[in-house]
Amino acid sequence: MTVLRNNARVLRYAFTSAMADMRATYTWKSWTFAWLARILCQVTLFALIGKLLGSPEQVEYLVVGNSVFIVADIVMMVCATTAWERLAGTLPLLVSCPSTPFVVFAGRSVQWLVDGLACSTVSLLLLAPVLGVSLPLGAALTAVPMIAVISVSVYFFGLTLAGLALRVMKARNLVGRLGSIGLMVLTGVQVPVTFWPVPVQYMSNVLPLTHGLHAVREHLHGAPLPRVLALLSLEVAVGTAWTVIAFFTYRRLVNSGRHDGTIEFGG
Amino acid sequence: MTAVEVRHLRRTYTRRKKEPRTALDDLNLVVETGEVHGLLGPNGAGKTTLCKILSTVLLPTSGTARVDGFDVVEQTDEVRRAVGIVFGGERGLYTRLTARQNLLYWSALYRQPTKVGRKRVEELLERLGLQERADEPVETFSRGMKQRLHLARGLVGTPRVLILDEPTVGMDPVAARDFRALVVELRGEGHSILLTTHDMAEAEELCDRVSLMDGGRLIATEDPKTIGSWLSRFERVRAEGVSPELAARLRDLPGVAAVESRGDQIVVEVEEAGATGEALRLLVEAGVTSLATTRPTLEEVYLQAIGDRGLGVR
Repeated sequence: MTVLRNNARVLRYAFTSAMADMRATYTWKSWTFAWLARILCQVTLFALIGKLLGSPEQVEYLVVGNSVFIVADIVMMVCATTAWERLAGTLPLLVSCPSTPFVVFAGRSVQWLVDGLACSTVSLLLLAPVLGVSLPLGAALTAVPMIAVISVSVYFFGLTLAGLALRVMKARNLVGRLGSIGLMVLTGVQVPVTFWPVPVQYMSNVLPLTHGLHAVREHLHGAPLPRVLALLSLEVAVGTAWTVIAFFTYRRLVNSGRHDGTIEFGG
Repeated sequence: MTAVEVRHLRRTYTRRKKEPRTALDDLNLVVETGEVHGLLGPNGAGKTTLCKILSTVLLPTSGTARVDGFDVVEQTDEVRRAVGIVFGGERGLYTRLTARQNLLYWSALYRQPTKVGRKRVEELLERLGLQERADEPVETFSRGMKQRLHLARGLVGTPRVLILDEPTVGMDPVAARDFRALVVELRGEGHSILLTTHDMAEAEELCDRVSLMDGGRLIATEDPKTIGSWLSRFERVRAEGVSPELAARLRDLPGVAAVESRGDQIVVEVEEAGATGEALRLLVEAGVTSLATTRPTLEEVYLQAIGDRGLGVR
């Protein structure tokens, strides 16, 4: 119980640190008129492909897919911000203290959850009507908590990749981007998962976003609640699995770093 | 119980397509409880490798290391609770958080109960002179303030053994002096401290005993004055108003290694016990009254002990 309480305190301060980073990165003006605007342009660009195809169904598919993908895209920045911890020189100190560094890393990048959820929500609620996609308002609003669930499962997937990238610091941004592109291509954002060969579909099913996005699409099309919840539960299960994998990735990072001497003081 | 006990410690690094590099080679070291123990050595001597092993950041290849009685490999959790680490430079802090937030964060990481942690943080802020700016982001702090915060962070878990790895590197002289004063205070309170440094003056000022390291090996462990006395035969005589003829006679004395002219001064380098007396007698007989002998500094001991590897010394 005491350990849980301590970990909660560590998480709280990691969250404080994350939000301080967020405040240092954006003002509300730069967030709204630069960052959000860029995100909306990205979603619009993909939606216009549907327009070019002259298919309202394609437009809806792409608007919903890309709006929800935005949360994953932003959350995958966890790869970069996790690396900040190493650049700040705190890693050896975290290793040499009694708590597990995983808790710190788990809280270190939560600003992207807030950022991603906000961008994704605005995109879904604002761009859909602008691009001529008629989404039931109630369903669109209740999709937001579902996007929040997706954001968390993607977060731990990203955290796993970040844990791997911590060993190859030069590749940290590449790993994040590749992870993000992988999600965009394989999880039903631009094309249905069934578009891919069966072996690739297996991979899609263990990636975050796949089942959550499916749940959002079904929800927006008025699927029964048990069906939506079942899909969402799969997303939660995948997210939980990635949380466990992330935990062991960081444990491995520390253990192998202690073996091979890659954890440097001050770096 | 000793604060640190290292026996036959060895650490090698394997490298791709290269021979393994030995950072520590059969190292034996004991730091007594309540002692400030200095580790001196050039870059690559193995000082930081030792600190990393003692703080559980690195595993030894062989041998044993115990901190506060706990084995760094087998009793990692106990060691982590017993040890505090501070290294030099500006890294290792959450610069966008305030000083207070940083310390509370580390207090949580050291699993201190909330109330105990808050009390400890306030004590440390007060003690290290950070109270007035405790709620400002660390990124606005001077280097000296950041280093004081580093020390506070190292102390927040109330460690029994403190490892300071070149803590004053890059600090301006005033900030370094203030930092050393804090270390002196900690010594007075009975903390066991292992201090690595390149700075001889720092070691002489702070340490009860000093270990000289080079090439991953321990060369010697003694108190700073004793180490100085080892090389007392390497005394130096400075004199003013010495004629060239007298300088030549000094140069011919047995045991005199060199006589150098530095402005209106000459410096007689003596390399044998007893030769200093002869040189002084010659100078006094010649009517030279402005003269002085100096004891070797730790730096000179260090240079003598490790030969021409002393280029890394500040």
